[in-house]
Amino acid sequence: MTVTDDSIIRLRGVTKEFVRGGERLRVLQSLDLDVKRATFQALMGPSGSGKSTLLNLMAGLDRPTSGSIEIDGKRIDQMSEGQLAAWRANSVGFVFQSYNLLPVLTAVENVELPLLLTPVAANERRRRAQTALRVVGLDDRMDHYPRQLSGGQEQRVSIARAIVTDPLLIVADEPTGDLDRTSADEILTLLETLNENMGKTIIMVTHDPAAAERAGVTLHLDKGRLKE
Amino acid sequence: MMIPLRYNLRSLWVRKATTLATALGIALVVFVLASALMLSQGVKETLGAAGREDVAIVLRKGSDAEMGSIVDNPQIGLIKSMPGVKREGNEPVGAGESVVVIALEKIGAIGVTNVQVRGVAQGSAPLRPNVKMLEGRMPAPGTDEVAVGRAIRGRIKGVDLNQSFDLKKNRPVKVVGVFEDGGSAHESEVWLDVDNLSSAFGREGAVSSVRVVLESPSAFDAFRASVESDKRLGLQAILETKYYEKQSEGTSIFISALGTMIAVFFSIGAMIGATITMYASIANRRREIGTLRALGFSRLSILFCFLFEAVLLALGGGLLGAALATLMGTVELSMINFASWSELVFRFRATPQILATSVVSAVAMGIMGGFLPAVRAARTSPLAAMRG
Repeated sequence: MTVTDDSIIRLRGVTKEFVRGGERLRVLQSLDLDVKRATFQALMGPSGSGKSTLLNLMAGLDRPTSGSIEIDGKRIDQMSEGQLAAWRANSVGFVFQSYNLLPVLTAVENVELPLLLTPVAANERRRRAQTALRVVGLDDRMDHYPRQLSGGQEQRVSIARAIVTDPLLIVADEPTGDLDRTSADEILTLLETLNENMGKTIIMVTHDPAAAERAGVTLHLDKGRLKE
Repeated sequence: MMIPLRYNLRSLWVRKATTLATALGIALVVFVLASALMLSQGVKETLGAAGREDVAIVLRKGSDAEMGSIVDNPQIGLIKSMPGVKREGNEPVGAGESVVVIALEKIGAIGVTNVQVRGVAQGSAPLRPNVKMLEGRMPAPGTDEVAVGRAIRGRIKGVDLNQSFDLKKNRPVKVVGVFEDGGSAHESEVWLDVDNLSSAFGREGAVSSVRVVLESPSAFDAFRASVESDKRLGLQAILETKYYEKQSEGTSIFISALGTMIAVFFSIGAMIGATITMYASIANRRREIGTLRALGFSRLSILFCFLFEAVLLALGGGLLGAALATLMGTVELSMINFASWSELVFRFRATPQILATSVVSAVAMGIMGGFLPAVRAARTSPLAAMRG
C-alpha cells in the first residue's frame, strides 16, 4: 500500500459487514487504500471478493461498517444521506455495466440529467451535454433514444453523462462487461483518453484481464483484503 | 432541482396499455361524480328558473308546497290589495292558481307517471312574462282545453298538440297549445283554466295558492308582514325564488348524495388501480430509480417525481371523465320531483365549479393512490443502480 500526499482517495481501516439470513458476513476487512489523483486504476478479484462493495463505498453509494473514507479531503463516511447525495452529484461520475440510461430520455437529455442538480441554466446545461457527447464521439446521435443506439454507443452516452459535471472521480462497474471486443476496446480507449488528456481519476471494476491491462494500476482483492 | 416532467410524461406514454386502463378507471369515477353533480344542478336550475325575485306566493300556513295548500277564493282579492303589490292601471297584478297531480301513461315505458296540472287565471300571464307559445294557443277560459309544457310533450300519451287525454276519468281535455318558459319547471306542467280545474276536482271556492307581482323585491317584507299579521287568514307568504329553492332541495340533495356515494365507492377501486399501476411501474423501473439516486437526486425529489406521475395519470383520467360528463349536457331526462311528486324534465347542467370539483377529486385520487408507491420509490437505495 502506497501512502502519498497527492492521494484523492484515502481509506483507513475500512470494514464492511452484511447480515444475510441472520449471519454476519464480513466482505471487506480493515482495508487501507490510497488512490493517486489523475490515475486510472483497475480493481480485480474473484466473485465475492468485495470489489463492487469497495467501489460502492468509494462512490458514496454505501457506508462502511467501520473505518474512514476520505475523498479529496472530505470524510464521506461522516456525511448524512442528503449530504452524500449532493456530494455524489458534484463529485462522482458513474459508468455502469448495463449503461443505466433512462429509456424515455434522448441521449442529450440523459447526459443533461446530472446537471439538473447544479445551478447551471437550461441553455448552458444543453450546451454542456452536447459538448460531452461530442467528446465521446456521439454528436450525430444526440436526439436518439437508448433503444436506437448500439451497446457501445449507449456506454458512450453513459460516459458522457459521467463527465458532464466535471467530477473529481469516475467510477466504472464492469464498463465493458456487456460489450463485444471492438466496442469494449473503444470504451477503454475513451476512458484512457479521459484519464490522460483530462486528468480524470478513474476506478474501474473488471473481470477482464485485457481491460485491466489498459489501466495504469491494477488492484487485486481477495476475500475482502487487498493483495500486493 | 426536480426530475424533468418529460420523464414522467414519456414513462406514462411507453406504458400505454396500463396507463390507459388506469386513466379510464379514474375517468369513470369522475364521469359518475360530475354527472351526479350536473344532474343535481339541473334540478336546481330547472326549478330555480321558475321563480322570480319580485313575485310572492301566498300559501296556507304550514304548507310546504302548493299541492298541500288551500286558499279560499274570497281571500284572493284581499291578498292582492295588500301593500307592496304592483298595480297596472288600477288593477293589482296577481292571480289565484290551483295545482293537482294526475297519473298519465308514459310513452316508451311501462306504467304511469305523475304530471302536475296547473289551473291558471286571466291574471296569471304577467306572473310569467317569459312564457312563449311554441305552437297553438293558450286554453280559452271555460273550455276543456289545455296547453302543455315543451318538456313533457311527446313523453306522455295524449300530451301533444291536437291530442287529448283524460284529466280524470271520463273528463277528456284537448291540447291546443305547447309553451316554453326558458327551461323552467313550468315546462313540465299542463295548464288549463283554474275554474275548470277546480270544478273537475271538486275544489270549487278555493285555489292552491295566490301569486302577486311586487312593486320591487324589497317590497316583500312589508307584503309578508301584512299577510302574516292577520291571524284570521292563516296564510304565509314566501318569495317565489325561495319557494322553488326549497322545492329543489330534497331532489338535488338526494341525487348529489347518491352520486357522491357511488363515486366514492368507485373511487376506492380507481385508487387501488392507480396504486397497483404505480407499484408495477416502480418495480419495473427499480434500476432507473437507483440510477437517479446514484446520480444524486434526493429521496424527496424521487417522491415528488412519482407522486407527480400518479397525479398526471389521474389528471388525464379526470379531464377525460369531465369531458365525457360535459357531453351529457345534451341529454334531457325526467324524474319525479320529491317535493311535488310529479314528473320533472331537466337537463344535466355543467358549471365550472362542478368540472373543477370533479377534476380536483381525480387529482386527489392520484395523490392518495400514488402516495405509497411514491414512498417505495423514494426508499430505493442508490445501490439498486449497481444490482441491475
